Amino acid sequence: MSKKPIILLFFIIPQCLWSQVRFVKDTLFAGGDSVVVTATRSERKLSNLTVPVTLINAQTIQQTGSIRLTDILKEQTGLTMTSGFGAGVQLQGLNPDYTIILINGEPLVGRTAGVLDLNRIALGNIKKIEIVKGPSSSLYGSEAMAGVINIITDASVQTPLAASLRYGTYNTKDINLNNALASKSINYQGFYNYYTTDGYSIRPNSNNRITTPITRLTSSQQFKLNLNAHANILLNARLTDENIKSNIAVSNGGVTINSNGNEHNTDANLSATLNYHFTANLKTSFRSYLTNYISKQDLLTLSGAPYNDLLNHLFKRIENQSDWALSKKLNSIFGVGAVWEGVKSSRYDSDKIRKENTIQYGFTQWEWTPTDKLIIIGGIRFDKNATYASAWSPKLSMLYKLNQYHKIRLSIGQGFKAPDFRQLYLDFTNAAAGNYSVFGAAQAQKVIGQLNSLGQIGGLYNNYYLLKALQPESSTGMHLSWEYTPLATTFLSAQVFRNDITNLIEVQQVGTYISGAQIFSYLNIGRAFTEGAELEIKQSLSNRIVLSGGYQYLITGDKDQIAQIKAGTVYTRNANNMSARLTMSDYVGLPNVSKHKAQLKINYSNEHGFFANARIIYRSKWVVNNTNGNEVYDNGDDFAPSYYSLHTAIGKEYQNGIAIQLGADNINNYIDAIHLPNLAGRTYFINLKYQIKYKPLK
Amino acid sequence: MIKQLLKMSFVVFAILQITACSKSETITAPVLTVSTNIVKDLIADTVLGLASNGMPYSAGKYTFFSLENNAVVANTDSATAKWDLAFISTRILTNGGTSGPALGGAFIYTGLFDDLKTIPADSIFKTDNAPTYAITTGSGKGWYTYDQLTSLITPLAGRVLVIRTASGKYAKLEITSYYKGGVTLPVSASDAEKLTKQRYYSFRYSYQSNGSKVF
Repeated sequence: MSKKPIILLFFIIPQCLWSQVRFVKDTLFAGGDSVVVTATRSERKLSNLTVPVTLINAQTIQQTGSIRLTDILKEQTGLTMTSGFGAGVQLQGLNPDYTIILINGEPLVGRTAGVLDLNRIALGNIKKIEIVKGPSSSLYGSEAMAGVINIITDASVQTPLAASLRYGTYNTKDINLNNALASKSINYQGFYNYYTTDGYSIRPNSNNRITTPITRLTSSQQFKLNLNAHANILLNARLTDENIKSNIAVSNGGVTINSNGNEHNTDANLSATLNYHFTANLKTSFRSYLTNYISKQDLLTLSGAPYNDLLNHLFKRIENQSDWALSKKLNSIFGVGAVWEGVKSSRYDSDKIRKENTIQYGFTQWEWTPTDKLIIIGGIRFDKNATYASAWSPKLSMLYKLNQYHKIRLSIGQGFKAPDFRQLYLDFTNAAAGNYSVFGAAQAQKVIGQLNSLGQIGGLYNNYYLLKALQPESSTGMHLSWEYTPLATTFLSAQVFRNDITNLIEVQQVGTYISGAQIFSYLNIGRAFTEGAELEIKQSLSNRIVLSGGYQYLITGDKDQIAQIKAGTVYTRNANNMSARLTMSDYVGLPNVSKHKAQLKINYSNEHGFFANARIIYRSKWVVNNTNGNEVYDNGDDFAPSYYSLHTAIGKEYQNGIAIQLGADNINNYIDAIHLPNLAGRTYFINLKYQIKYKPLK
Repeated sequence: MIKQLLKMSFVVFAILQITACSKSETITAPVLTVSTNIVKDLIADTVLGLASNGMPYSAGKYTFFSLENNAVVANTDSATAKWDLAFISTRILTNGGTSGPALGGAFIYTGLFDDLKTIPADSIFKTDNAPTYAITTGSGKGWYTYDQLTSLITPLAGRVLVIRTASGKYAKLEITSYYKGGVTLPVSASDAEKLTKQRYYSFRYSYQSNGSKVF
């Protein structure tokens, strides 16, 4: 075991010993875990929400043996993990770029090719995860186009000290330390996580490790200062530091070049919030937030050439939100805020100069409850940006409780995703692969113009003349669901959704160099849709056994491609390898999207603290590469095969605070090294935990 | 009776249809002058190995081909009108302009091989003018796409190379594969296979010997 955690241990324990700790009841969550904040930016009961929300609580996280955010998200209905540039999440068939990831309501930054690596987030101090599906830009602005994932940390102080040790296959160690203390005026929660793995290689005859040796350290400090009966201040500081021993392979024209070296990523978040309650009906909060993500790659190719990459994303935000209950039937929210953000990258023209953007925004939301049976919520947000077009995001949603058994939800809203810094400022020439260049849209014309005056441009395409300030990508999402709870032991929900997306930003060739090498930039040209249905069931078979499952059916498509197919101008190859017209029946849609996804879980738990569960996850085939001579994904292309994986965990928690857990993941040992590099073969783990708990005050 | 007549005429019509694009059967006069051939694994400067810098190297020699004779032409005849097309990796030359002394030219038609029965009158044949060529080079711009991720060259479906031969006759040609064996390698093929099995052209073509633009 490394020395680091031991030092930490010494650091924490004295803190707990000196303090006069006592149990403080957390009133917000006294009513159980079923309060949700993400859907309306205010505390609402799950049963009163007008939009679809998935809630994952700490118990589920623990009992499945999940330690990183990816572990638990992959078991949720309608969520698919993607690989490439880290583990991202695909929601309602949309790429990871379109889902905003929040910790306690504050966004994480630092995306590579649009993907925020969810392995960055340790789950050891998480109270719950809230997932809102569908466009939510009316409250959260850019990136909340497919949905919102909000990770809420544990703010309770029932556990003054908890420590856990986990050991698993591939020499994977995960060590957690949580401590908390409370006095009259201060609540404190500390969290430390140390994770290390040797990684694994599931590709035969390759020195390439699919998951490379990683060491991650996360620490989180939370303070709550109770100033008086009306006011409190929350201070949060979180730091994740990861070291990755990289060996990457770049393939070009059938030649693979291996590089070795280190990748070092740091993610720091700092937030301060002042909450003030004027009256029971009027409260306001001032939030300030700063986050910095720094990623550095120092690699050396086997031939000795260095390959360095730097990304430094700084994001600052101030925001005020006021909640005003005008009457019992009418609640409102008003918010204003300002964002300043800047990115430095070695892939821009200079890694010394920060590219900047500022955003000012305002939003409001009105919740009307005309009768006991009906809730209607309307909201709108305006985002004014310095470097690209502004965006209006309205949303309207409603809940109708037909009777005690049936609930109907309906929502329609708009979402958007601002052009990211890469799409605006990239200045990248790939010397390893044919010297092609990609220039961000904000400076492509200027850079190419300069190259042209130097006589380096071979030709300019029509797309070059179409280059202009990028617009945000935008979507309109609709959702209808029906929830049925005939008995206390049965829950059934069915929903349909559709997202129509316009102004998709796509890479397009805009010209060529004299050498013939291609020059690319970004244009708002694409139109797409995703639509589908989800079904979720939960059935208690007895006091101890619960069966739950979910299924998603998903259809996607590129609208321009569909128009071309219908016009008969898209071709494919038939069984004899000759060209033929592509028909709609052979059209597949967007890549990396599975038509069917399902999971089933059976859980046993008893009053002696023993639990056992078995989970199965299924994903149908998905198209990966275009291989049959057109630019459209169809049945003749290269698919990743469908698969399922089986997981189990058992554990027991003793009265004295000791808990033990054993688990096995991917028991059926399903391996697809090319399409599922993040799915290791069969792995096992053992977890030991000790915690001190206060007895609740009488 | 009428039914039988109809049936017979249908059969005759069907035969005409079939023979229109088959190579050896001859029934009616105009078809006689069109020959359709299938060429498999025509070598186009295949990779010989890896140089010390890790990049592949080859002999750097064109393969010259006569559509009229359906045969490879010796490299020593490169300055003559004996060849119609010359292949080197993904580049294809026509015998004209900066590439050769003859009347060669070409353009790329988007559509199906069988649907191209007559070369449209307003078609413009381009000639080679190095470094641009009548048969445009580059991924997605001519006859193929190159996928950076899989390192595979895939002939675009629905592309017909319409060729004016060295002697000013016309041909239409569809490339079906760039890999040995006539089928594009699977994505999962090894790097070595992707290197050594590339630059083998498979194609079908129809050649109109009477000088008309009708196939």
